[in-house]
Amino acid sequence: MSLDLAKYRRIFLEEAADHLGEMSHALLGLEKELAGAEPIDTLFRMAHSIKSMAASLGYEPIADLAHKMEDRMEGVRRAGRVRDSAELAILFQALEALEAMVAAVADERELQPADESLLARLAAPSEDVAAASQAMLSSAASAAHPKKVRS
Amino acid sequence: MARVLIADDASFMRQMIREIIEPEGHEIVGEATNGVEAVELFKELAPDLVTMDIVMPKRSGIDAVKRILADHPSACIVMCSALGQESLVMEALQAGARDFIVKPFKPDSVVATLKKVLEKAD
Repeated sequence: MSLDLAKYRRIFLEEAADHLGEMSHALLGLEKELAGAEPIDTLFRMAHSIKSMAASLGYEPIADLAHKMEDRMEGVRRAGRVRDSAELAILFQALEALEAMVAAVADERELQPADESLLARLAAPSEDVAAASQAMLSSAASAAHPKKVRS
Repeated sequence: MARVLIADDASFMRQMIREIIEPEGHEIVGEATNGVEAVELFKELAPDLVTMDIVMPKRSGIDAVKRILADHPSACIVMCSALGQESLVMEALQAGARDFIVKPFKPDSVVATLKKVLEKAD
């Protein structure tokens, strides 16, 4: 039997929009309280749900990113808190990337795989995140403000 | 044919399961959107079979399975799992769930699993 994929694409876009809104709200909550149990649980469940829906429709880049985010939130759930602002920043970046991918589906644009460095940072042990984020920021800062070379 | 309760917080998944199993002649008697509703609707509707998502708000699918089976040991529950949930599926099976189906759902596999579970339950 075959399923009506156009119908499920429409439902996906509606539910994903709701989920992304809830995730954004949850992250703002965690910005105030890193150990907020409810926003941590919300982020885990919403990432899980987006992963399952996206996988059902063959949106692999979304499923991959949501899966990595779900795994990350599983670790956060076990720890009982987001470790620090560096880990929170990774989660904000992941949400932003998910939003962009869902927008691509809505606009019927081709889905591009998630940025590999983001996937790596999501998968990294949380103690490595601060160092990785610092390295990324330093690299970005160097690119934006190259050192003057004396002639 | 069986009277089925679908428990999943995602409308997407509930509709997909409905669309897969209704043509097989099964009747969807209810839809629960969280673990608490799943337990309440099970008591109210006494379905022949429940498809139970694992990750749900208010009460997880595994907690709901344990709660239902504590009062109704012969309840026929099939877990809906996803990649990376192997240990949770094991926990649900050990708690008394009959079998599991894996997301993304393959219609033929879902139908075959429910058929097998319902035949064993007869």
